[in-house]
Amino acid sequence: MSSREPEVGNNIRRLRFEHGEMTQDQLAKQAGVTRHTIMALEAHKYLPSLLLAFRIARAFGVPVERVFEYHG
Amino acid sequence: MSDSERWAWWTLGVVVLTIAAYGAFVAFLGHGPATSSVFSMLAPTALPRVSRRHFTHVTYDERDKDIGRKSVRAGLAAFWLAFGGLILGIEYTKGWLGTLKLPVWALGELLMWAAILVLAVQAVTVIALYRGVSRV
Repeated sequence: MSSREPEVGNNIRRLRFEHGEMTQDQLAKQAGVTRHTIMALEAHKYLPSLLLAFRIARAFGVPVERVFEYHG
Repeated sequence: MSDSERWAWWTLGVVVLTIAAYGAFVAFLGHGPATSSVFSMLAPTALPRVSRRHFTHVTYDERDKDIGRKSVRAGLAAFWLAFGGLILGIEYTKGWLGTLKLPVWALGELLMWAAILVLAVQAVTVIALYRGVSRV
């Protein structure tokens, strides 16, 4: 693994696609954040808090480990 | 663009205009109380955060708050570095037993330059972090 690869990856983009092509805006509203934060998460430029991770998982109706993966 | 980024660009614009106006005043009037009045141009940096829109429409999520905290820390770090550098520089040039005679308006200006430094570093940090220069 290269040093630039994020330690915590996420499947948000894929999960949005699997959930009827949910928009970033819709996910942002359900998770209680701005669309910019969803964009940053998908671009692996932001590590969310545990609370936000659970909120996103709940928005998709899946366990948190299906949304986020630890590569450490 | 998020509201914090808008504030950062606005602040950078105000800071640049203030510095330009200060330069023009110094060129035509020299240093002194009249030139110091130029620093009142910094007041509009507060506008986005005291506006009606700020209290009714702007929402900050955890990332916005995180970036805000980091930018304040960067601004204060820059201030302490500049303050330390200034003190050490004066000690180095004037010597340990040297004395310093300053008009009072110079102290006021020093304070304003410190505010400019903190605001500028804060704004640049906000812009850099939103653009993903480093992971927040």
